[in-house]
Amino acid sequence: MLRFLGGRLLIAIPTMLVIATLAFALLHATPGGPFDSAKVMPPAIQHSIEAKYHLDEPLWRQYLRYLNDLAHGDLGPSFQYRNTSVNELIRTGFPVDAVVGSLALATAMLVGGIVGTVAALRRNDWWDHVPMFFAVLGISIPVFVTGPLLILVFAVQLHWLPSGDWRGGEIRYLLLPVTALALPYTAYIARMVRGAAIEVFTSPFIRTARAKGLPTRVVVLRHALRPVLIPVVSFLGPAFASVLTGSIIIESVFGLPGIGRYFLTGAINRDYTLVVGITVLYGALIISFNLLADLCYGWLDPRVRLQS
Amino acid sequence: MNAVRDAADEPRGDVAADAAPTAGQWRRSWERLRRHVPALVALAMLGLVVLLALLVPLVSPFDYATPDWDALYVPPGTAHLFGTDGLGRDLLVRVMWGCSVSLLVGIAASLVSVLIGVLWGGTAGYVGGRTDSLMMRMVDILYTVPFIPLVIVLTVLFGRNFLLVFVAIGAVSWLDIARIVRGQTLTLKNREFIEAARALGLSNATMIARHVVPNLLGVVIIYATLTVPTVILFEAFLSFLGLGVHAPLASLGTLLSDGAHHMKSHPYLLTIPAVFLTLIVCSFSYVGDALRDALDPRELR
Amino acid sequence: MPRTLDPSLLTDVDAQKVTDDLFEGLTTLGIDGAIVPGVAKSWQVSTDGKEWVFHLRPDARWSNGEPVTAADFIYAWQREVDPKTGAEYAQALAPIVGALDIATGHAPLSSLGADAPDPLTVRVALNSPTPYLLALLADSYMQPLPRATIERWGDDWTRPEHWVSNGPFVVKEEVIGDRITLAKNPSYWDAANVRPTRVIYFPVETLTQVSRFMAGDIQFSSIFPSSQFKWLRSQLGNQVVVGPYLGIQQLVVNMLGPPFGMNRDLRLALNLALDRRILAGKVREGIQEPAFSLIPPLEGYQQQVPPWATWSDERRHAEARRLYAAAGYSAAHKLRVQLDYPTGEDNRDVYDAIAAMWRTNLGAEVEPYNEEFRVLLQNLRLHKAVLFQNSWIGDYPDPFTFMQLFQTGFDQNFGGYSDPTFDGLLAQAAAEPNPARRMEFFEQAERRLNEDGVSIPVMYYASRHLVKPYVKGWQLNIQDRIVSKYMYVLEHEGR
Repeated sequence: MLRFLGGRLLIAIPTMLVIATLAFALLHATPGGPFDSAKVMPPAIQHSIEAKYHLDEPLWRQYLRYLNDLAHGDLGPSFQYRNTSVNELIRTGFPVDAVVGSLALATAMLVGGIVGTVAALRRNDWWDHVPMFFAVLGISIPVFVTGPLLILVFAVQLHWLPSGDWRGGEIRYLLLPVTALALPYTAYIARMVRGAAIEVFTSPFIRTARAKGLPTRVVVLRHALRPVLIPVVSFLGPAFASVLTGSIIIESVFGLPGIGRYFLTGAINRDYTLVVGITVLYGALIISFNLLADLCYGWLDPRVRLQS
Repeated sequence: MNAVRDAADEPRGDVAADAAPTAGQWRRSWERLRRHVPALVALAMLGLVVLLALLVPLVSPFDYATPDWDALYVPPGTAHLFGTDGLGRDLLVRVMWGCSVSLLVGIAASLVSVLIGVLWGGTAGYVGGRTDSLMMRMVDILYTVPFIPLVIVLTVLFGRNFLLVFVAIGAVSWLDIARIVRGQTLTLKNREFIEAARALGLSNATMIARHVVPNLLGVVIIYATLTVPTVILFEAFLSFLGLGVHAPLASLGTLLSDGAHHMKSHPYLLTIPAVFLTLIVCSFSYVGDALRDALDPRELR
Repeated sequence: MPRTLDPSLLTDVDAQKVTDDLFEGLTTLGIDGAIVPGVAKSWQVSTDGKEWVFHLRPDARWSNGEPVTAADFIYAWQREVDPKTGAEYAQALAPIVGALDIATGHAPLSSLGADAPDPLTVRVALNSPTPYLLALLADSYMQPLPRATIERWGDDWTRPEHWVSNGPFVVKEEVIGDRITLAKNPSYWDAANVRPTRVIYFPVETLTQVSRFMAGDIQFSSIFPSSQFKWLRSQLGNQVVVGPYLGIQQLVVNMLGPPFGMNRDLRLALNLALDRRILAGKVREGIQEPAFSLIPPLEGYQQQVPPWATWSDERRHAEARRLYAAAGYSAAHKLRVQLDYPTGEDNRDVYDAIAAMWRTNLGAEVEPYNEEFRVLLQNLRLHKAVLFQNSWIGDYPDPFTFMQLFQTGFDQNFGGYSDPTFDGLLAQAAAEPNPARRMEFFEQAERRLNEDGVSIPVMYYASRHLVKPYVKGWQLNIQDRIVSKYMYVLEHEGR
């Protein structure tokens, strides 16, 4: 086990290197630079700005400089937001996404898990068809519809909840964005759990357990839960990483100061350091959560031999 | 963690039971599918949507591009069954075209990503070891590729080829399926029946094709049905970046995002495309469920 | 979200909205957007229009109590044009002697044509008579800067804890991406007349502004989606405010090659075949006004509306078709071009409509193509785009800011238009000290542009706001620069 962990942590380093390099190369491959605007500026000023940000150096030197800074934990200055560093932008924005995202996924796991399991137990019953229909709605209605709809109903019409804003994470301000973000994930998880649970419930060892007279609850929790969770865990790994780096739509609809929209504005404005910085963060999260998922496989199904 | 397990709790099965279906079992699958009422209804709905999508543009006096300045934002009624949009274009025709585009993109892209995902994940999970590690690290890396710059570079390099839509979508959607398939394979390959089959001396390819894949089908099908709406909405996001259908043609995703702007003022512009998208997704889900049921190896005994 | 609160470095409108409350230049904005004395209480100009002298008021203070002196202005302007600073809009100071030479690195900082003979006097030397100088002085690029603060804190000088400014407000708190809170500046010379004690800015998306406004969480929105205009009017009545904005939405053609290069008939055909009143009245629901010529309505300037603008639709379409045929096109040989415009604007409907109009009225196949902004910019610089959006927002209320767009050699003259007559008229206008005669030269120049069909004006822009009925002390103006200092909130119930 320790060897497995050690091996994975070791390979994480070259993986992160590749991720950073790929992002760096891709960003620089897009036409135009951060200081291009419709109003063209005198070349001397352009050179000066570029020199300040080392954009006039040959690409390989910029790359090595970036890697060096990265190794020291410095993600560089933001090109769009001229007096701010990428570290600072991430430091202030990430907690927002972390809170909203984790709450949303936790809710989705709980609600989706329960709904899916019940649906599988009561297959082809109302307990199956009705929740599954709502699950389909949850999947097909995108967040840019549910978000504004929730605001319209609860904030504009009923005045029960605020229409957006962060306010340091006060509960009232969290309710709507977390709900909007949780809906599609709940739907996904419910359907996946149902599908996996049906497979498991019809398998021989479950039938054996039931034949032995074990109560359903025991059967479900002790025996069926683990195999059902495996595909869900596979899905949740990247889902967590993605949700923690922010949903662009949730942030813009609810006005949350997260880092998701930096991804969009950064790409459009060629803010190289910001985009690569967030990508590096995202990469670290992906690697960590996928590793966590693999460890979970081992726990959920002891016969899975984890090799590195 | 409960290390001691009751022997009776061990998943026991025999090789034949969890193996790929025989001819007789295929016929029984078909029988089950035929009797699965919701799936049949769903299939019929899907068929209806496809039929309408193809026929309506041929039959309707309106086309999807010509504005009518005297008929802006007309709510659904007799002259225009679904009403008109901000340029006076008939919504029914536009939604039908949108269904065609989205179905095409949705099905094709989902199929491609499922194919790649199953092959990649299945191989990684089955072979294990260093190959698995390498393949999964590549998946990790691909997850993190910044998508918007990637699309921009693609459009610059290859111009505005519609095929690029599939490339862009495909490049991203197979990753989740690969992970799920790999996860399943990891557990499957250690089941008794696999070991037994191995003991019988079956080749790797046969093992994968006849024993691993059928047991994966359930989860893959369910996830594939989840991929279709994601792909359809993704295409709308791509058209925001300049990739995708050429205006004035619109996909369901584009119609939906345009409609979202008018949620308060002209709700039908949103609800009608949303209904069609939901219908399509619903159909795929039910058909997927039915397929899963029908093809479940254990159900066929 | 504002990219920086440093007025000399800002490049986006969001930032300027905030810095307009924080800094004050020699001149400043009145409640109606008119230019009124700011830090300067009076000024004189020489007869040739090239030398200005400004007298500063002695009671102007920075928020840390220090007096605002002439040196603060000289410092700010020199810093603006100093290439080392890297100010992207340094050419805003172009009318000042030596500014462009310094910015291009050809002259030392000290050669800037501005000096401070004593702490309360600023002298400015200009290259040519510049009637709009007073408007420029109210702009962020010419506002004074606190030298000591900047030298001490460098790039961090705009942080709330180091903040020093000379305008009606100071930055109290900034939560990145969430809000910027301004508090009244007690040292401001006119603090007695500044009504609000606190102003909070929220950087929020357009659609979200509407929800927040309707929920009562914000009281003054900077924009709303034009497609929701009619509906918002029906719901909110007078809270929906629109007014003319100094900008034009226009298409420009590439003059350097086919199909538009040598083909004036074709350019004019496209121009005449466009039904602008439908675009403005129906697609934009009356928010924006149709544009038949380059210069938006501007005080003191006579718009040169071409004669065909008032023809009946039939006559105009017939003439368009005649020109199209004369240009060598027909049903058998259609015009096929791509219309490039930048992604991310509210414009898809407009371009779909334009393409449909040209198809119906002429039989031309024009395909709108939205491109990511910087990709488009590159195509424009390389003159690869044939027909493209080249909208323009005026930097100051004078025709020159628009005319410049078609001057030979101007960086943003992406269509490559080059006409010696036109350039000559601009040069004459620049040298003319008499304001009325100067305008006449511009009017002639605009007529020339109309005849040549260089561009296809579409609509003038409009400023759009949602304002709660209990918020008073503001007025619309063509540059949409509305400052907070005059605003006040009436007692009211509800939200």
